[in-house]
Amino acid sequence: MRGVLQVAAILASILIIAYGVLITEDRADPRWLGMLVVVGGLWIIALWPRRGYQLARSARPLVHLALVLAVGFGLVTIQVLRAQLLDRDRILAKASDPAAGVVDLRRYIAERQIERGRILLSDGTVIARDGTDKRGIRYRVYEGPSSYLAGYYSPGLYGAAGIERAFDRELSGSSTSGWNAWLDGILHRTRRGNDVVLSVDPRLQELGQTMLGERAGAAVLLDADSGAVLAFVSSPTFDPNQLSVPLGAPTEDVERARAYLEMLQKDGRGPLLLRPIQGLYVPGSIFKTVTAAAALQSGIATPTSVYRDDGALAVDSRVIIEQNRPDPTRVSFTLQEAYGYSLNVVFAQVGLELGAQRLEEMARAVGFEERIPFDLPVAPSQIAQTPDFLTSRAGIAETAFGQGQLLVTPLQMALLTAAVVRDGTIPEPYLVREIRSPDGGLIWSRQPKEWRRAFSGETAAALRDLMVWSVEHGYARPARIDGVTVGGKTGTAEVGDRAPHAWFIGFAERAGKRVVVAVVVEHGGSGVQAALPIGRALLEAAVQGS
Amino acid sequence: MTRRGFSLRWLELQLLVIPAAVSLIGLLTISLARVGSTRWSWGDLTVSLVFIVAVFATSFWLTLLKVQGDQILLPIVVMLACLGLLLSQRLGPSLPEGGVWASLSERQLVYLVMGLALMWVTVGLVRHFFWLKRLKYTWAVLASFLTFFTMAFGTDLGSGARLWLDLGPITVQPGEVVKVLLVLFLAGYLDDYRELITSSYRVGPFSLPPLPYLIPLVGMWGIAVLAVILQNDLGNALLLFGIFLVMLYVASGRLLYVVGGLAAFAAAFVVALRLVPRVAQRVDIWLDPWSDPTGIGMQPVQADLAFAHGHILGTGWGFGFPQAIPVVATDYAFAALGEELGSLGTVAVIGLYLALVMRGLLVGSRIRNSYVRLLSVGLVSVLGLQTLIILAGTVRLLPLTGITLPFISAGGSSLVTNFLLVGLLIRASEFSRG
Repeated sequence: MRGVLQVAAILASILIIAYGVLITEDRADPRWLGMLVVVGGLWIIALWPRRGYQLARSARPLVHLALVLAVGFGLVTIQVLRAQLLDRDRILAKASDPAAGVVDLRRYIAERQIERGRILLSDGTVIARDGTDKRGIRYRVYEGPSSYLAGYYSPGLYGAAGIERAFDRELSGSSTSGWNAWLDGILHRTRRGNDVVLSVDPRLQELGQTMLGERAGAAVLLDADSGAVLAFVSSPTFDPNQLSVPLGAPTEDVERARAYLEMLQKDGRGPLLLRPIQGLYVPGSIFKTVTAAAALQSGIATPTSVYRDDGALAVDSRVIIEQNRPDPTRVSFTLQEAYGYSLNVVFAQVGLELGAQRLEEMARAVGFEERIPFDLPVAPSQIAQTPDFLTSRAGIAETAFGQGQLLVTPLQMALLTAAVVRDGTIPEPYLVREIRSPDGGLIWSRQPKEWRRAFSGETAAALRDLMVWSVEHGYARPARIDGVTVGGKTGTAEVGDRAPHAWFIGFAERAGKRVVVAVVVEHGGSGVQAALPIGRALLEAAVQGS
Repeated sequence: MTRRGFSLRWLELQLLVIPAAVSLIGLLTISLARVGSTRWSWGDLTVSLVFIVAVFATSFWLTLLKVQGDQILLPIVVMLACLGLLLSQRLGPSLPEGGVWASLSERQLVYLVMGLALMWVTVGLVRHFFWLKRLKYTWAVLASFLTFFTMAFGTDLGSGARLWLDLGPITVQPGEVVKVLLVLFLAGYLDDYRELITSSYRVGPFSLPPLPYLIPLVGMWGIAVLAVILQNDLGNALLLFGIFLVMLYVASGRLLYVVGGLAAFAAAFVVALRLVPRVAQRVDIWLDPWSDPTGIGMQPVQADLAFAHGHILGTGWGFGFPQAIPVVATDYAFAALGEELGSLGTVAVIGLYLALVMRGLLVGSRIRNSYVRLLSVGLVSVLGLQTLIILAGTVRLLPLTGITLPFISAGGSSLVTNFLLVGLLIRASEFSRG
């Protein structure tokens, strides 16, 4: 009977402790403390000496005292084990939450024991590495004009961005596990993080950067077959070195870096923005590729379908004026010609014929309104800002030729172009090609993947013809490259009163190598003059360099 | 006691090998971790060697005095003191300090040796306990005098309480001695009046305790507690209260005293919660330190982080960062051990204290002489309760009160007094049967 009671008390105390750990977050939660009082009582029951056990009268208080003290030590043990084993992750997570306002110095001290991995471009050019200052403190050094691709890493400012942030586990080596990592840990050896190798080719990257120059804008060049980003140009940009402050840096260094960061954040030109993925722009005529894809896919038009364009089109109360006709006397154009000459009136008619639903379906099929899978967060491209915009005919017409409420990222438009040359499939784009261990061993290598199918192979082939025609006979003629199959589309996107955004999307094929490009020059004027030369140069360098 | 020749205390000597080895390994680890290489010299181990010599000399001194007492108490205490010494060697160079006569690491060794020396003296002087008992009122007067003298002339070393006496180069904390004096007084008084306290008289249906004989007792204790509260020393007030209750219960065997005492304590606590802002603040930080993690909640938050970083095996001596906890060397010594020795270390330390208390009570229960038994139980309760109060504070089982962790916390007064106490216990254990 007594034995049963003891076992029951022990079991009950275990159950109460388990339940308490599950429902309470903190060791001083009043509910938990209340449970501990109950547990203490149960233990006293469990440990109470048997009735038959003969105790001297004088010894009885001593036994009770021993019981109470033992139970007290037992409860202390539960509390300390809870802190060290069960609540450990909770406590550490709480401390690393910036909102808590706690500085867990131990974490940063541990980071000093880590030599952070490097970030390299595809040919081995180092853009970010760890250096040591004259006091022997490790800090992050960024090298070369493309170093902004790394983002920044600044323990002194408690912040990181870009690849430094997205691949922190690899760079800091905390993703490494196994025998050696464990051994390094207990022997307190300086741990070295892994190197992150980008797919960016510095030759193409610098070419794009130079050609864009001081102008704000972006260019993204992809290998269409693998989805590898070969150039990822953004302008204006920032100097990550000025943000890199180690822990324990003098206050004035920290203040200088903080002031620089605040200046960047306040700068209206957005130097912290990675424009190829975070810049959202009105696409203008390059969006006609999507409209054409929808028309071809749905079968309402072929490249040779004929449309009438007599210089203006009234849609409800809106009148669309045509300024792009090569010859003002001509009034009938095939779809192919309309694409090559970028005729708004024709595409307004195509759009109206398609209707909002089919147009929107195609936009979604190529990736609009979705997070594109990528190594860094990509802003979703948008079809319309207000939900009822596409219910009006004028809205559909404007959207069809690339104005309306469209907002797109350069990466999105490059992927669209990739679908054209890949028979309708979109690759999963990537910036990080591989992870290498400090001694150069390959830890992980990217396996190119298809993201999705945007449209059928026939549609892709027809679109490809449109784009090639546009370069050979249409307005994108300056993009021609001898000996290379080039297709492209220019765009000049109206943005209110200011100069329009200049766009170019295009592809080049040579000897089995297929590359695609999307270029935007903010307020750059005409697409042919501002954006096309950059795109052409990148395509040419990409196919000829190999 | 006996007239036999010298016989070595073999069990004690064998057990002392463990703390000796731990001190050597621990100190070597600490010094190697500091320089970050595997080169070492005997000079790095000086502190350990001094410690080992002092400890074994103590055992031989007990042999020389033909002490027949318990042979397990000393090794347990020495093991704890060894951890305290290692912790001081670990923390000393990491903590900023100035204006003191020696560094933390040096001071702790000196205090340890002083403590052992005082233990030699205690064991030498106290052979028959009757004079201790006869002087019971002297102890009471001395305790009151020390308390009020500290209150009047004490200094505040930054804790908000005037607990220290400034004696030129060193400062002492009389509160540490007062609790031993209180035990000496209570043991004598309760033993003399045991019959009366145990008896009761009836008023109608109620059986009341003999109030007249309790009054001097409660008065004496009340003065001590009041003084301590006025000094803002909540931990010691709690400790004195606990000792009082325990000894009253052990002497009388009447649960009524404990229940009444706890009820009085609960009432006092509720009043203090309203009236004393310091008490309310302590409770708030206990329940939610994260509301002000860099202000008053900094100690418990950083201690939680230390425990959490310790995990199972700990970071190892010298590889944690316990200096992030304010006042780590005294209040949060246990958290520092938790970080560097992990949960294996914390459980082991709790186990050592539990072993010490249980051994002490076991030895005490076998003592025939009622005064010596009461005294030894009182002394063991001092250690047990003090450890429990500060450990419960560091692990957030109870609100934190700033008292020292016996044998481990940095601090001379505490260490020296506790060794005196152990000396008394070892002598008392000679009265044990069998």
